[in-house]
Amino acid sequence: MKIMLACNAGMSTSLLVQKMRKEAAAQGIDATIEANPLNKALEKIDGFDILMLGPQISYAKDDAVKAVDGKIPVVVIAMADYGRMNAKKIIADAIATINA
Amino acid sequence: MAEEVEEKKSFLDKFAEVSAKVGNQVHLRSLRDAFATMTPIYILAGIAVLINNVVFPLFLADDALKAAQYWGNAITLGTLNFSAIILAGLIGYCFARNKRFDNPIACVVVGIASLVIMMPQTVTATIDAKAGTTADISGAFLTSSTGTNGLFAAIIIGLIATTIFIKFSSIEKLKINLGEGVPPAVGDSFNVMTPMLITLSIMALVSALLFGLFSTNLLAIIAVAVTAPLKNIMNAGPLAVVIIYTFANLLFCLGIHQSTISGVLAEPILTVLIVDNMATFAAGGTIPVDHYMNMQIVNTFALIGGSGCTLMLLFDTFLFSKNETSRDIAKLSILPGIFNINEPVIYGYPIVYNLPLIIPFVVVPDLLIAATYGLTCIGLISPCVVMVPWTTPVLLSGWLATAGDFRAVIWQVIEIAASMAIYLPFMKISERAQAKQLENASEED
Repeated sequence: MKIMLACNAGMSTSLLVQKMRKEAAAQGIDATIEANPLNKALEKIDGFDILMLGPQISYAKDDAVKAVDGKIPVVVIAMADYGRMNAKKIIADAIATINA
Repeated sequence: MAEEVEEKKSFLDKFAEVSAKVGNQVHLRSLRDAFATMTPIYILAGIAVLINNVVFPLFLADDALKAAQYWGNAITLGTLNFSAIILAGLIGYCFARNKRFDNPIACVVVGIASLVIMMPQTVTATIDAKAGTTADISGAFLTSSTGTNGLFAAIIIGLIATTIFIKFSSIEKLKINLGEGVPPAVGDSFNVMTPMLITLSIMALVSALLFGLFSTNLLAIIAVAVTAPLKNIMNAGPLAVVIIYTFANLLFCLGIHQSTISGVLAEPILTVLIVDNMATFAAGGTIPVDHYMNMQIVNTFALIGGSGCTLMLLFDTFLFSKNETSRDIAKLSILPGIFNINEPVIYGYPIVYNLPLIIPFVVVPDLLIAATYGLTCIGLISPCVVMVPWTTPVLLSGWLATAGDFRAVIWQVIEIAASMAIYLPFMKISERAQAKQLENASEED
């Protein structure tokens, strides 16, 4: 499973990415998780299973959907989960969305 | 009552929606992306300027100092004094990417070539200042065209040129088909040849007309008609900047990043001002009053712990809060907060849609912008002359931005104390409101 996170400058998602990697390892999930500023994320998106946006760039969702050509799901992370860096919930959401 | 709340909500939603639309507009977004890509070379220039003008003079003098400063001057030449050229290429690239045009590198070429096409073909050099003799020299570029003074010309010309270029590139008839079996790279270069030829010819025609009819050039026109008025608005007191950041920070309280507004309306011109200051300082000049307001006033003095100066809310929480949830989120947020990253605070504490905390989140930065600008004007702290990354921790950032003025560090200490005092009552109100909500919720159960 490959998860791409994107936010404004790739700073705050890089905090989240560490927590998510730890959480995935703890749960024994084989996951590649990356965090990037949106533009870079879209450049590197090939091969990823899902694109998750930080809530601060929720307005870019439509554009991101167009950019990935509907090939993979694009979701906005819930504000509370993002703020509390709730890695467990975000990973669970990602898995549910990919399998949906 | 309920209706009123609904109306307020829809107004805020509308505000968020319009801001997002503006922030998403392709030209403005390309402008923001290009400046963001450009930032590392400005930071590098800042380091070079600091070392050249603050560190080297500490232990070197005369010829040895001059020899050592050649290093920093070389960096200034390649970064600050060439930044318009670099930006013209970057903006072409970013615009192409955002337009999903399949040949962004061609747009880099068009952007740079178009900017240079608009430059004066001869420069006037003074031979004898006393006698007033001058000579026109061809084959030379002025750093006032290629450097920080040309940044707005680079943006405008770069965007216009690549827009025209992309338009012409979409016309199938203009594509030269070399047939099958031709390597794609070769095919691509032929495909863009005709559109590029047309675009650059149009640019050159404009340049020739401006020179022939009015003996001027587009860079000079943009400097007078665009750059100068924008600089003046930003420096006619702190009002313009305060208004922009009020809306920007309010937007963040609705969950959308403040740079959606500030990155378009304020940051380009404020960045030009600080970059100007770096160039002036590197050349040993005095910073003019109309450059006192610049990017560092915001990023160094009004972004302590991130947007809204939330570091002080965290300090208040550690010292005065008994709320376990708040303390947990503060613990999680303090380390990124020191480096001015505060999404955990904004979404986790939370600030978003939390009225008691929205007030200080918007007011504190406004006050600090105005006060820092005022203190600079009356000479109590030195004007900012170095662009430091926005992730630089407080106290260090003030010292670096002012090229080593300790009064700026003392001011930051005062800022911390004052902001803690402002945040404290609002934090208490917020906690009381949250406790009440919990109570109500449990009553309903």
